[in-house]
Amino acid sequence: MHDQAASSVSTRPAPRRRRAHWSWIDLVLLFGGAGLLAYLAWQTNTAFAYHWDWSTIWPFIVRYDAASGRWVSNLLVDGLLTTLRLAFWGILLAGIIGTLMGLCRTSQRLFLRMVGTSYVMLIRNIPPVVFVFVFVYFIASQIMPTLAIGDSVAQWSSSAQFWIGILFGTPRLIDNFVLGLICLSVFSGAYVTEIVRAGIESVPRAQIEAGKSLGLSRADVTRFVVLPQAFRNVVPPMAGQFIQLIKDSSLVSLVSIQELTFMAQDVQVSTQRVFEVFVFIAVVYFVICFGLSRVFAALERRYAQAHH
Amino acid sequence: MKTFARLLGVGALALATLAWMPPAAAQQENMIDTIKSRGKLQVGFASFVPWAMRDKQGQWVGFEIDVSTKLAKDLGVQLELIPTAWDGIIPSLIAKKFDVIIGGMSITPARQEQIDFTTPYSNSGQGVVASTVLASKLKWPDDYNNANITLSCRRGVSGCKTLEEKFPKANLRQFDDDAIAFQEVINGKAHLVISSEPKPTFMMLKNPDKLFKPTPDTVTVSVEGFGLRKGNAVAMTTFNEWIAKNKDWLKQRHTYWFKTQEWAAQVPE
Repeated sequence: MHDQAASSVSTRPAPRRRRAHWSWIDLVLLFGGAGLLAYLAWQTNTAFAYHWDWSTIWPFIVRYDAASGRWVSNLLVDGLLTTLRLAFWGILLAGIIGTLMGLCRTSQRLFLRMVGTSYVMLIRNIPPVVFVFVFVYFIASQIMPTLAIGDSVAQWSSSAQFWIGILFGTPRLIDNFVLGLICLSVFSGAYVTEIVRAGIESVPRAQIEAGKSLGLSRADVTRFVVLPQAFRNVVPPMAGQFIQLIKDSSLVSLVSIQELTFMAQDVQVSTQRVFEVFVFIAVVYFVICFGLSRVFAALERRYAQAHH
Repeated sequence: MKTFARLLGVGALALATLAWMPPAAAQQENMIDTIKSRGKLQVGFASFVPWAMRDKQGQWVGFEIDVSTKLAKDLGVQLELIPTAWDGIIPSLIAKKFDVIIGGMSITPARQEQIDFTTPYSNSGQGVVASTVLASKLKWPDDYNNANITLSCRRGVSGCKTLEEKFPKANLRQFDDDAIAFQEVINGKAHLVISSEPKPTFMMLKNPDKLFKPTPDTVTVSVEGFGLRKGNAVAMTTFNEWIAKNKDWLKQRHTYWFKTQEWAAQVPE
């Protein structure tokens, strides 16, 4: 799929304005769909016999702190911030891992190719949930205590700790956060690797030869000729993968990383409002992912324009 | 999903154990020394009403929180609460993410193969409540074993099996949701419902005119202990002594969280 999208970029004609045109079939489908939704909503309210009560979950978003006389964030917002931090650093780290491994995958050296291939095959053929468990209890638990990030951060100056707090969350939970972040990035990086490889392979051979004949070194050909074109070609699948990463971040709640889904489960248990909490976090994830997909769409348009 | 995830957890754990298992007896860790030099007791638990739950301020409250707080105080160290997904709580203990599980964990033979338990510090079990309209004249338990009696439970919980075994003649209706299983009895459509205590007690207190307890006892009983990594003889002795010494206090806190609803105003609902 990527290859197709990629190769079509260079020859893609300027998008034509599509006319809004409605046939009667569209109208029937639209009303049919709306009717079905209305029926489902009605069923949920009657046959389901669940008393919706949203009032209990609002205090878990923000609450009034009587002691300081201010509004402060509560569990759901704290969880959301952790999810956003996971997403931000995760995309960055998965992008770096994916690029390096993608270069390995397409390298001319057998050893590097083998490293890249082993990494991708190992991760791509294990279900995400299994990977998270194995990675955390099996690999990371042996490494994290040795790094002792939390202990060293605790000795830093208070202003350094303030910035760490903004960037990575509460210093007290930093080991926990880093663990989740590495897990997510290593996992997601394998898919990014494949996208990067597809992008690199989509760059026509002639481009590389042209670069070489201009006297560029192999590293410079990669840097100035291959990668810029490869990245431009892979924006659409990469957007999909990064959005996937944000959704996958909910998986690390299984190993007690205190992000949105984990916090939501706490709130569910404490308030007994299971469905309200689920609906709420579904909306939150949607807003984040939809927002990101708009950003990538804009990026894609910009690249397409720059190319023409 | 939960069961699956738990299986995975156990699988991962089994792998980890295979790979890193040091000669079991050779590695005695003196955890109490570690805790004291660190100045912090790290406790793993999962949220479950009223064991451990969030109050309106988002702070942890509950029976386990009381127990952990006092334990840390008596050891002379700070308490660090480490909320952990229930499915991964035993692997997390073994991976040394915390020192001890104080999480309302029932002592079962399967779990004892992986971790050690202290002497019980609490007990719980399945309780029953019955419909005032339908069942106030029935004698517990004999009258309930009758073909025109309807019993209610949530599908898949051990209580359903208990009812089946105890009252083979009665009709058993199974629901997907605990709330609906109780609603049937409140609506006078079923005679009796079984569920994990203290829920039956709380439901009775909430609906005093609709529900009553045919028996004050729990129908099945389980006991809970602190969970420790294997090979922690010193910590085991320390904790067991603490539990024995605080027997009355534990009982009093247990009554407060499980038999009363005085704390209800603290938590949302």
